[in-house]
Amino acid sequence: MDISRRKFLKITAAAGGTAACSVATPAQARGPKEPDPNWYGMLNDSTRCIGCKACQVACKKENKLEAESTLGDREQFGQPIYDSPRSLSENTYTLIKLHRDEQSGETTFVKRQCMHCVDAACQSACIVGALKKQPNGAVKYDADMCMGCRYCMVACPFNIPQFEWQKAIPSIKKCTLCSETRLDKGQPTACTSACPAGAITFGKRNDLLQIARERIAAEPGRYAETIYGEHEVGGTGVFYLSKKKVSYAALGLPDFDYRPVSGLTESIQHRIFQYFIPPIAVYGVLGAIMVYNQRRKKNAGIEGGDDEY
Amino acid sequence: MSIKAAPLHQKFVTPNLWILLFFMGSGAVFAYFRFFHGFGSVTNLNPAYPFGVWIAFDVACGVALAAGGFTTAAIVEIFGRDKYHALVRPAILTAFIGYFLVGLAVFFDLGKYYNIWHALVYWNGTSVLFEVAWCVMLYLSVLAIENLPNVVEQFKGNVRLPGPLAALNGLADWLLHRLDWFCNKTMAFFVIAGVVLSFGHQSSLGTMMLIAPYKLHELWYTPLSPLLFLTSAVSVGIPMVVFEGTLAAKFFGRKPETELLSGIAKYIPLFLGTYLLLRVGDLAYRGVLASAFDGSLQGNAFLLEFALFAVPYFLLKRRKIRRNPTTLFLCSLSVILAVVLNRFNVFLIGMDMGPEWSYFPSVGEWAVTFAFVAFGVLLYKIAVNYLPILEKEH
Repeated sequence: MDISRRKFLKITAAAGGTAACSVATPAQARGPKEPDPNWYGMLNDSTRCIGCKACQVACKKENKLEAESTLGDREQFGQPIYDSPRSLSENTYTLIKLHRDEQSGETTFVKRQCMHCVDAACQSACIVGALKKQPNGAVKYDADMCMGCRYCMVACPFNIPQFEWQKAIPSIKKCTLCSETRLDKGQPTACTSACPAGAITFGKRNDLLQIARERIAAEPGRYAETIYGEHEVGGTGVFYLSKKKVSYAALGLPDFDYRPVSGLTESIQHRIFQYFIPPIAVYGVLGAIMVYNQRRKKNAGIEGGDDEY
Repeated sequence: MSIKAAPLHQKFVTPNLWILLFFMGSGAVFAYFRFFHGFGSVTNLNPAYPFGVWIAFDVACGVALAAGGFTTAAIVEIFGRDKYHALVRPAILTAFIGYFLVGLAVFFDLGKYYNIWHALVYWNGTSVLFEVAWCVMLYLSVLAIENLPNVVEQFKGNVRLPGPLAALNGLADWLLHRLDWFCNKTMAFFVIAGVVLSFGHQSSLGTMMLIAPYKLHELWYTPLSPLLFLTSAVSVGIPMVVFEGTLAAKFFGRKPETELLSGIAKYIPLFLGTYLLLRVGDLAYRGVLASAFDGSLQGNAFLLEFALFAVPYFLLKRRKIRRNPTTLFLCSLSVILAVVLNRFNVFLIGMDMGPEWSYFPSVGEWAVTFAFVAFGVLLYKIAVNYLPILEKEH
């Protein structure tokens, strides 16, 4: 599946955005976004995580999020479960999950949260620009701007943005990178501060990549060779390290292409509306046909009537 | 053009009216919960399926099924096939009703519906939705203008407002005369604008789900999607005119316009053939045809969709089938269902969010959707009854 997906993506890339109405000369969609070295992010070292969920609790406290009870899950599991939510939600911005690699049988705790992508799909998708990459690296959501269309949820390849399904006036909720509560005050994110195992490292993007590379180099037997997030979907602000025998896919971090997911939509969009040439051209052609037909009928003396067809 | 359109002026309160009102009432009950108790109280939407039947049917299908308006306008007004002129007004009217309902449905589906005007002010050009929203707004305005002559023709020089409003009769009449002048001068501009906007809008709906390459099934994830959406919308334009024309004749007790409908139906195989050629070519080029036969839900949904497109294509090429009102109606219905299923496939069935998530529309979601359809039928009933939309039987 993964291989065919990737191959298929290559084909689509090759085919480019063969868009409807595209009569203009092929336009350059905007080039890949370069990550800013000053963007902050986090490095999640899954080999160090002990699954204590201190980060989850710290996140809930920091963002004043309600606790979620899973006691209602008796039907599904045969017993009430009261430990922890099982997926991200409007009340859970970060989540520790236990994953098992089918091949090696190895189990690993992994933290999930917004990846604060370099070229964020949610930002590209948002109709009003309510989601924006900030100069500090956080992808910030503006609830007052938002219309609640949920297209960001469709766009996000990591399924991060959550919607308040129970509220009359719902908003999108997701990890903020503690952008306003802590980053602006020069503090690291709440989850980083809370982690007792040193599994989360906060810092600037380039520094984090440096740290990750050093760790891999120092213990090649312990770590997988690649850093997840360095290139995936155009690069992310949150990186992952995995155990040698555990694939990232097994951790719920899919084997994504290096191109941002918004590449195709943006290039099609760009071509259809480039300087409004294609729509105006279509307009002109249709108008010419209309005028021609009317003139022809007038000359043939069948104005307002019909010719045989 | 000796034949003139005229209001039906039939008895308005019929049993059918109560059926429509029942559907609208039940939809309104669920709508109350959606607006005051959140989506969770009505819908089965979940984090993996943020778009449900309200987007897939009310918006995606609604726009496609409004294609009767621009295709008929293009055939008659631009390509000059004036003998089908009688079909233009009902088609433009249904397109207007369709787009009006799309706008209304979006309002129901937006979490912060009171911010809907933000699309006008805060622009994000990289968003496909931005383009979709603008096309809806502009095309709805164009359709309103295209429907103006119906109102002008009915009331010009004949304004009789009730009671104290009678003082405004003169003003209203003056306004209608100005509008008449305006429409006569500018209608050609708006007719073409309507077609161009439809092109843009139909195709950009096809672009929408391309932002999710890892979620949308490979049978539908193709850079050709905008063109496929456009050509399939063009294909469903005339079938919608046939569908509505046949039903309107039945429900208003009029003689069916078989002559006219089977005449214009000769274009359907042309459009359908273009679409099918693009569709098959795209699948073959990308080498994904095999996944249509893997027995999965998506594969089967594709096969059904394809059959619904292909069967009427071959049938409608025969003159005999086109001239028979029943087979013509059934073939048109098949094309309509094909486009509906295609939009469902792209927006719901083809979206795979992983094994732990699933979505099937709740009773409440269906009720609201049916309410929209019923409201649309009611608006049509009102319009043809009091405005000159349908031409005298001939």
